[in-house]
Amino acid sequence: MVRESPYVSAAIVEAMVGLVIVRAASTANVMTVSAVSEVAHHPTSLWVSIDRTTYTHELLRQGGVFTLALLHDGQAELAWACGTVSGRDRDKCATLALSARTDCLFLPEALTNTACRIRTTVDLGTHTMFIADLLSGEVNSRLQHRRNLLLSDL
Amino acid sequence: MLLPARTIWDTRLQCVCAVVSARGPDGIELFLSGNFAQATLNPPRIVINPNRLYPIEGAIRWARRFAVNVVPASCRQQAQALYGVRRRQPHKDRLLGFICDEDTHGIPFLSDSLRTLFCDIESTHDTGDHTLIVARVVETRVNAARVGELPLLYRDLIGSTKTGRAIRGVLTRTGVIDVLRSTLWRLRPPPPPDLARNTYLDGGQTEEEVQSILSHGVLDPGRAITPGCPPAAPKRRVGLCIVGTGWGLEHVRFARRAAPRLDLFICGQNEARTARIAKSIGAAGYFVGLQRAAADPRVQALTLALPHHRHRQAVETAVAYSKHVLVEKPIATTLADADALIDMARRVGVILMVAEDMHFRPAVREAVRAIGRGWIGEPLYLLAHIAGAMRPSGWKGNVTEAGGGIWMDNGVHYVRALRLLMGEPGRVFASRAMQVNTKVQGEDSFQVLFDSEAGWQAHMFLSWAASRGPLPDMVVHGEQGVLHLFPRKSYFDFYPNAPTSISKLLSLVRPYWLQEKLRRPGQQRRRVALRDNDLTGYVYEVREFLSAMTEDRQPVSPPEDARRDLEIVLDGYRALDSQQWVTVPRVGSS
Repeated sequence: MVRESPYVSAAIVEAMVGLVIVRAASTANVMTVSAVSEVAHHPTSLWVSIDRTTYTHELLRQGGVFTLALLHDGQAELAWACGTVSGRDRDKCATLALSARTDCLFLPEALTNTACRIRTTVDLGTHTMFIADLLSGEVNSRLQHRRNLLLSDL
Repeated sequence: MLLPARTIWDTRLQCVCAVVSARGPDGIELFLSGNFAQATLNPPRIVINPNRLYPIEGAIRWARRFAVNVVPASCRQQAQALYGVRRRQPHKDRLLGFICDEDTHGIPFLSDSLRTLFCDIESTHDTGDHTLIVARVVETRVNAARVGELPLLYRDLIGSTKTGRAIRGVLTRTGVIDVLRSTLWRLRPPPPPDLARNTYLDGGQTEEEVQSILSHGVLDPGRAITPGCPPAAPKRRVGLCIVGTGWGLEHVRFARRAAPRLDLFICGQNEARTARIAKSIGAAGYFVGLQRAAADPRVQALTLALPHHRHRQAVETAVAYSKHVLVEKPIATTLADADALIDMARRVGVILMVAEDMHFRPAVREAVRAIGRGWIGEPLYLLAHIAGAMRPSGWKGNVTEAGGGIWMDNGVHYVRALRLLMGEPGRVFASRAMQVNTKVQGEDSFQVLFDSEAGWQAHMFLSWAASRGPLPDMVVHGEQGVLHLFPRKSYFDFYPNAPTSISKLLSLVRPYWLQEKLRRPGQQRRRVALRDNDLTGYVYEVREFLSAMTEDRQPVSPPEDARRDLEIVLDGYRALDSQQWVTVPRVGSS
């Protein structure tokens, strides 16, 4: 089966791949992202750019907190599964072994999980760039020998 | 095992490595980044976050455009060199040998990268100690020769070798690392899992801290001179006359080693002594009196090992006969004399070079290289300790003829070392202890402080009263380590702040008294071998003079360098007289 994603085919540069896990009110969603990187060391923050039409965008606006779960090179299938279906159509969280941490959901099988709180946003037209403070994080020590999942692995 | 992430670096946010390149007001700036990503697809936009402490940030803001050059995994060493380079080092590309091309918009880029994105800034966002830059990608170039190659990842940039990583992989998979970590943490508990605070303490800055650090400049452009590399042997046979039969005999030794094909002459004042020396060194001939040597057609060049006060007249005599001259330091005892000599040599079209061995001393050259490559971070202090029990007599004890005491005679060497290692000083202050040798007119000890707008200071202590012992003659102290330079040694020592493996291991030994007993100063030392044949720089300086002559070019260290050394020495004397800080004029302003 040939799988396609505009985010993979239109990518002009290599990038790591992760999941944004967002919980708002009584619902949660997970979405594959590669438009994410560090912002600053003080205040310790990152940015993630999300398509305005997505369900995740809607939930981020509502909830204000999210988890960035970075995937390792053996999790391409997971990236495809969470990146090609909308959360509006299917509960993607149902198939994942997520565990709750204070305000966020973590994916223990990921390389790392980082809980973030949105501080501000930047309008980029089709996308919104969320700038978020890093609240806490978790590292799966048994996976630290693995490299990040990259766009070119998909 | 799930462990708390203690810093931002634990979160693995830094991933694909790229060299961000831009042309700033001071030239090309390069920065190795593991933080960039594509933010939108159509139009394609890239977001980067340069650290405000690094000159790349200002260069991008200034040029409004930059390139992101994705680093191939096979270029790890070059990337590591850029990652480690001194933050305020100007011209990083030249120092590290990066070859930068330039696109039609004037954006410098690395054509050997996997892929290059040429970007125009759309917006900048003040987000703390880094600036977030959103840029439109205006062009993408893919390196066809590297298609299919993986990019360098941040964990491989800072991690160990391939074998080391393989071993670590096995230990991680089997859980051995977890056991070791638990044991280690019992001995030394890790910091509390406060991600933001730990990140700030390890590598973050508040606005006040950023302003404080940047108050001495984001770049350090203070170095006006660079050390000389080992020169090639002269291309043809040269007729060289050594003038002076005291230190001049050392010149003979240096010249013989510098150039095997040499017609060597000696010039002295006493015929019997000069003839005896000429015979013993196998000279092609000898002269009594400088004028005869300068006038002889077999002689193309002269080296002058004469008292300081005779430099001007001697150089003028040699240059009047269109002979190239290597004159001992200091170039003269006054700036007016120095200017007159430089002017005359230029008018006649001959080489005038000043014998400053410090410019060619291998330890200084390698230390400058190590500083540029970031071994000690930003250099903060230079300590120079120049001492040797000596009772000068004759012209050296006469302040009019020598131009001063130990500061003029020996200090001038270390002024050159200061300029090479640290840069140009901004101010000088001097003081001295009581005179011990009252038989000499010049000072027999001297103490001098320098400071610079670039944020470093230097302290020199010179004495003819007692010996230094086995101490280094120069210590360069930086934010990440210290360099020890020893005269005539085939090595220099580097003491990094970061503990070596053995230091790390010993820090775990309990009880503490046993740890103390096991510790040795050498365990934290990295000894760097110097593979030069000439450890002093004397031979190289003579060879450079002869090579420049035979290649019809100027030597790498022009006489203006020595004129500047003299200017700083004289400022030191002014500071001693006035007991005030004296401002050193900027290079070329006087």
